[in-house]
Amino acid sequence: MTSVRLVGLDFGTTTSRCVAATARLSKNAVTGRQELSDIREVFRSPIVLTPFGQDRLDLRRLEEHLDDWLSAAAADTQEIFGGGALVTGLAAQQPNSSALVELIRSRVKDLLVATAGDPCLEAWLAFQANAGSISRARPDRPDRWVINLDIGGGTTNIAVGRSGEVLRTGSLFVGARHIEVEPGTYRIVKLSRYARAMLDDLAIAVGPGDRLTSPQLDAILDWQMELLESALAGDRAVFEKPVARLHEQVAFHPPSELQNPIVCLSGGVGELVYKMLRSELPPSTTQFGDLGIDLAARIAKSRWKARPTEAAPLDAGRATVYGLLLYATQVSGSTVYLADSAVLPMRDVPILGRITDDSTDAEIQDILQLASRSAVGGCVVVSLAQSDGQTVRTLGERIGSTLRSAEIPAATRLVLLVRENVGKALGGYLSQWGSVPHKLVVLDEIEPLDARFVQIGALRDQVVPISFYGMN
Amino acid sequence: MRELTHCNDIPVPDPKPDRIYSAQLLDREMQFVGLKRLLGAADYSKAGDRHAGLAAEAEDIREAARSALSDLTLEHIYEHPLTDDRGRVDSVMRVNYDIDLDVFSPIASLTLGDLKDRLLSAPGNEVERIGRGLTGVMAAALAKLCDVHELIFIARKCSRPTQARTLLGAPGTLSSRLQPNHPTDDPQGIACLCYWGLSLASGDALLGVNPAIDTVENVESLLKLLDSVRRRTGAPSQICVLAHIKTQLACLDRGAPVEVLFQSLAGTEETNLAEFDISVDLLDHGYRTMAERGALHRVARQFMYFETGQGSEFTYGRHHGIDMTTTEALCYGLARRYDPFMVNNVTGFIGPETHRDSFEMMLANLQDHFMGKLLGLPMGMAPCYTLHSQTILEGQQIATQLLTAAGANYFMDVCLNTDRMLAYFDTSAHDVQTLRELYRRTPAPEYLEWAIGRGILQKEADGSVRRGPQWGNPEQFCDSPEEFAELARRTPALYGRETAGPRPANSVMRRVKFNQGAARAAIHSELRIDDLQRLANFRVLETTAKDKEAHLNSPEAGARLSPASLARLSPEAKQVQIVVSDGLSAEALHHNLPDLLPTLVDGLTSRNISQGQPIVVRYGRVKLAEQIADTLECDLVVFLVGERPGGDALASRSLSAYLVYRLTGAALAEAARFSGNSRAKWEQTVISNIYSGGLPPVEAGAVILEKVLQILAHKAAGNRLLALLKSSTP
Repeated sequence: MTSVRLVGLDFGTTTSRCVAATARLSKNAVTGRQELSDIREVFRSPIVLTPFGQDRLDLRRLEEHLDDWLSAAAADTQEIFGGGALVTGLAAQQPNSSALVELIRSRVKDLLVATAGDPCLEAWLAFQANAGSISRARPDRPDRWVINLDIGGGTTNIAVGRSGEVLRTGSLFVGARHIEVEPGTYRIVKLSRYARAMLDDLAIAVGPGDRLTSPQLDAILDWQMELLESALAGDRAVFEKPVARLHEQVAFHPPSELQNPIVCLSGGVGELVYKMLRSELPPSTTQFGDLGIDLAARIAKSRWKARPTEAAPLDAGRATVYGLLLYATQVSGSTVYLADSAVLPMRDVPILGRITDDSTDAEIQDILQLASRSAVGGCVVVSLAQSDGQTVRTLGERIGSTLRSAEIPAATRLVLLVRENVGKALGGYLSQWGSVPHKLVVLDEIEPLDARFVQIGALRDQVVPISFYGMN
Repeated sequence: MRELTHCNDIPVPDPKPDRIYSAQLLDREMQFVGLKRLLGAADYSKAGDRHAGLAAEAEDIREAARSALSDLTLEHIYEHPLTDDRGRVDSVMRVNYDIDLDVFSPIASLTLGDLKDRLLSAPGNEVERIGRGLTGVMAAALAKLCDVHELIFIARKCSRPTQARTLLGAPGTLSSRLQPNHPTDDPQGIACLCYWGLSLASGDALLGVNPAIDTVENVESLLKLLDSVRRRTGAPSQICVLAHIKTQLACLDRGAPVEVLFQSLAGTEETNLAEFDISVDLLDHGYRTMAERGALHRVARQFMYFETGQGSEFTYGRHHGIDMTTTEALCYGLARRYDPFMVNNVTGFIGPETHRDSFEMMLANLQDHFMGKLLGLPMGMAPCYTLHSQTILEGQQIATQLLTAAGANYFMDVCLNTDRMLAYFDTSAHDVQTLRELYRRTPAPEYLEWAIGRGILQKEADGSVRRGPQWGNPEQFCDSPEEFAELARRTPALYGRETAGPRPANSVMRRVKFNQGAARAAIHSELRIDDLQRLANFRVLETTAKDKEAHLNSPEAGARLSPASLARLSPEAKQVQIVVSDGLSAEALHHNLPDLLPTLVDGLTSRNISQGQPIVVRYGRVKLAEQIADTLECDLVVFLVGERPGGDALASRSLSAYLVYRLTGAALAEAARFSGNSRAKWEQTVISNIYSGGLPPVEAGAVILEKVLQILAHKAAGNRLLALLKSSTP
């Protein structure tokens, strides 16, 4: 059992933070899968306000935070095995958010996935961190649905799932900080473009320097609640209006069989709701300089039956960063096929498609040729109807045969992901037991997510860390 | 702290030549040469003694031996110390002579028969006092003369309470040692089993884990985990990780909470030194260290914990002609030196080579409990079994009923009887609670107060203690039901938490018993050679085990080819020879070979590795691979063999691959230099847990191939191969 270090970095609309932990790589004696276990937090940064300059992120101050946090999180960044860094919410909407991603990448190299504006990934991570254990607690009840609403400063990320598996995600620009006010008052300091559109729709003619009246505040909160409830109910009529569509970052389509879900809340606003449900003394009016407290109060009185926060394993306000820490990285099985371990790590590898037992030779050839045209290589998900020897042999030999007949260049870096524990055998048959020159990687025991990219770390103690991003 | 007399300062009479003991039975005079033979023949017949040639061949011979033994005085036993194979009194025997001579002298002239009668009629405090004047051999001799009622009646008189955080073994109590073993030492799985056990009112004797990995780092981490569980739940108990004594002392040096120091003991010095890597000096050092700075040295009166069980000396071939009961009693004589907090007897753990069936296991447990209590030890009992013996759950349960009547201090709590790490079957928390309610027993007083406070137990109007509303609810120790569910996700063989009275609900027990039944069926399944021949053109060979019974009861029989089979083999000088054998599960071959073998052979063929015609051997053991490698003069034998099934139906189909590399030329010298063993002729790499729920067979074929290529390339296997691979990795 190897000890590894995990790091999560979350740069959000309102706040930013970092968490680091140690974990053990071990085999789950029930499932037989490699997992990260015995996770122990070793560093938790203070929550800082995400520094903004004039209409953009303040990269200089962010760099200071980043360097301070990384040096506290890991004595040597090379120790880092997994986790992730996300620029989320309105921070991801800033024109220089990609520069922040590059800054992070310059520090963590290929050890952590780092990306901006990936709302479905955010929703997925928040679900796993905040509601995953609740969702997994009753594997005997597949009809037990759980919805997680991760309500932060800029966005509400929605994920619904059962038995620990997220089935649908969505995201709305509904959050605490679209209208910034002077703390303790309702005097407007700043409006996001989404807030501007909403106020226009409500015919509320206010701007920076104006004070919101009580009826105006009610109207704003009613508007936001209607949008949230319509999304959850799958009521698409509301989103016919351009202003509602503007607020819809990713449309949420609830499953038709969704009934009586358990509702979990996370994010800064979600955490406030729980405090109110527990009758803790609420913060004073607009203490945080936004409408988060008011939005939380409205949600606390809503018809949703929010699950008490003590059921959540981690504090709801940090769901995204804990999600990054704990769930952004999957661990492969310990019997992967690696033609050349020097080919790893790999970053920004596009997921090109799926090969199944039913795929035609032409379909296999098309995918392999796509991989050959990608400078960083290509990733293919392999779905096996069965994992018996004959199936593995047949499909492995077919892909290998196509690799040779289609004259795929030897320099092509091809990554196959397979759910079953057959990586070494599939790679063996595909490569004619190591006799083809291609830089082939077969990672097994991976649950492929509906994403566009993967980042693959280096081999460590027989396993390989892998992160999905660019989720659909 | 008890003063320890140095081993060499303990007075022991000089060994004497064997004398002939005889007894007249009707018109026959039966003779027994030497005290060891007499003791062996006087015992109930048990498999280990039969294999060692010590058991009487018939009931009349056994009774003749008992008659002769009955007539021997204690002084005679005292004057004839049993010696090792070199005629020497070893350190274990010497420590057994550290008795209270003031007690012994007045009774020295009593015959064993007289002493037995006196013990039956004496009050408890007198029995306890006499015990202080007896050696292990004397206690063993008495045990052989007692029937079941006598073993229970005398033992019941002895009260041996000990005190650490809890008071163990007080009259009216029945405690339990919680054993939350996990196959990968998973902290969440261990916590899950601790919480469940504590919720069932178990663990008042100890929370004790057998580690899967005996390293200082891992053991320290497990100690801290158990300590955190104890603190979180507030349960008054003590903790222990049952690693080697040296590992635990190293953990203590690093500041880990070593509260109770554990060590397995054997009844001969040679077994302790060669197999357990312990000596009396080391045990003395451990005892003194714990007295000075053990985590409970200010709280506990006792802090040592020993585990013993009949047959280990025989199994290792280091019994020096002494029978299993007597070597077990010698363990107790050694344990007594350290005034232990607990002694745990695990007779039945080894398997059918020592105890063939439920009856042998039950009798041995009663003997052990009797001997231990008589010699002054706080005996906890773990009547247990493996599935390749003929002992069954019901036999184990009968043993617990008898042992409770005899006054055992505690039983084990192995969750639903199924040890997830050691692949054997022991008593459970449900069993302990059932016995407590049947016999009106309670846990240790400190623990009882805690359990009542938590609603786990409750006091009835008549003063008895029964299950409370929180009994069996482990979620009470977690922040939420979800937290417990997460822990349970990493814990195998959790068949259900439903209960009926103090027992697991019928639905749960059906799953427990079905899994055991399926696993036992796998052990007794026979190879279907015709099915295997459809996979490959096997050569069919036989071992010296003539049938399944001989195979299961004698590991040696399956380690050699029969003369006829051996004659069919001659040197072939291939690189790889594949051999398949049933081992302890023929089903493992039938379920895995169809996917594994083609993958392995495809890979070997593709890499131009020369292979001999594959071989199938019925009733084989791993050692057989060495004989075949030598005979065929191949470089490497890939030996695919069924593993010993644990309690999981699917895992009863689990296969292992032993890659046995035959050392020749320079590799021979390299291996000797690496291991320090100049007699090593083979090196071995093992890939285990091959089945659909572990390493799937098709993948196993590729994994084995990779290892074969590495072994052939580096001309090394086992740890030497690992070291070479490590040194060649940048």
